Amino acid sequence: MTPEQIDRVLAESARRSPPQEVDAAVVERAKASLASSLEPVRPLRSSRVFLTILFIISAAVAVLGAVVFGVRGLPVLSAIQRAVIFPMLIAAAAVAGIASVREMRPAAGRRIGSLALALSILVPLAAFAFLFRSYDPGNFVPDGVKCLTAGLACAIPAAIIAALVLRRGFVLDWPAAGIAAGTLAGLAGIGMLELHCPILKAPHIMVWHVAVVWISGLGGWLAGWMVQTAKRRSG
Amino acid sequence: MQPHPAEDLESLMAAYQQADRTAAEALIERLSPQLHRFFMAQVVSRRYADDLLQETWLRIHEARHTYRPGEPVLPWIYAIARHVRVDSYRKVRRTESREQQVDVLPEAPPHGTGSQPGPDLDALLRVLPESQREVIVMLKVSEMTIEQVAQATSSSVGSVKQKAHRAYRKLREVLENMGFGDRGRRSTE
Repeated sequence: MTPEQIDRVLAESARRSPPQEVDAAVVERAKASLASSLEPVRPLRSSRVFLTILFIISAAVAVLGAVVFGVRGLPVLSAIQRAVIFPMLIAAAAVAGIASVREMRPAAGRRIGSLALALSILVPLAAFAFLFRSYDPGNFVPDGVKCLTAGLACAIPAAIIAALVLRRGFVLDWPAAGIAAGTLAGLAGIGMLELHCPILKAPHIMVWHVAVVWISGLGGWLAGWMVQTAKRRSG
Repeated sequence: MQPHPAEDLESLMAAYQQADRTAAEALIERLSPQLHRFFMAQVVSRRYADDLLQETWLRIHEARHTYRPGEPVLPWIYAIARHVRVDSYRKVRRTESREQQVDVLPEAPPHGTGSQPGPDLDALLRVLPESQREVIVMLKVSEMTIEQVAQATSSSVGSVKQKAHRAYRKLREVLENMGFGDRGRRSTE
């Protein structure tokens, strides 16, 4: 059978079995429940506005964090390192921002939160492996824990502010929204570390700096899952 | 109820956002039958479909500020309806088995009865896995475009095409087993 013939059978079947009449009581109940709280609403602003807001929040948190912890990393980076790292983080933040904004409205587009998280881990890993050639472990764990703590200290407020922005929409899938917002917040954390941390050893940067992104992304997923579970229980 | 002067769903939705009660009621009247059919294609019980419909309108009301005037209404509505169904399915899946995977083929109509040219649509659709069934319902019953279905299901156009293709392959198999292939060939000869 050709697709056209299948279409014909489907159309004939649909004609032969028209939808069952919807129970009038159900329709009346729906009308009554909507009418009881019918107030004008202002449509959500465009995705670009929210994308800009999220981007500014992330950048502001990264810069403020670096100012608080001390801008000791930026001066020791070479011109090539600066030219690769910061545009790469901005591009990753744009993808994570788009993923977050798409979670705010039903039917806003394909969900790309997981893709944003994967890109925000893999691309920096590849870039750092290319840019930093010193594999001396140094004080791997003590220095690493300090950077991880500082990075997460920036990611957490960024994630909270991003969650407040997301709440203005109507999130259908909170875990997916959590991954997207967590990734964006993690990128704010790693951005702060690139401005702050003067350690240019590949193992340190690839393990501890990048860890801020995946911990933040997974933390976002967990927070989203908890919100969704709580909503289901209360609803 | 006075009919709302606006004809298209997009204008009705925009008026509903401005608290126009007749627009809200017109939307409910216009969209409830197809939403109910969407739920009926996925679930067994009519009462359950009624509950899902009621819940969908509540969520639409809660989310109405997220509709962007001028954009197509159906993908937005179906994205919410689909979410309500998935949400509800998760809630009840431990207590009830909702997925009716039909291994028994829908009954073939007796050949030669001109007034009974096809099988029951809902029975035919139940042969399909859930993800393919919802795509076929949106495309063929709600008459949405592939792009709109992709929007409603938060997936890519390619993924929707692939699901539709697989659904058609399965439907072809089922319909040919029921003797529709011969009839189709005869009708095109």
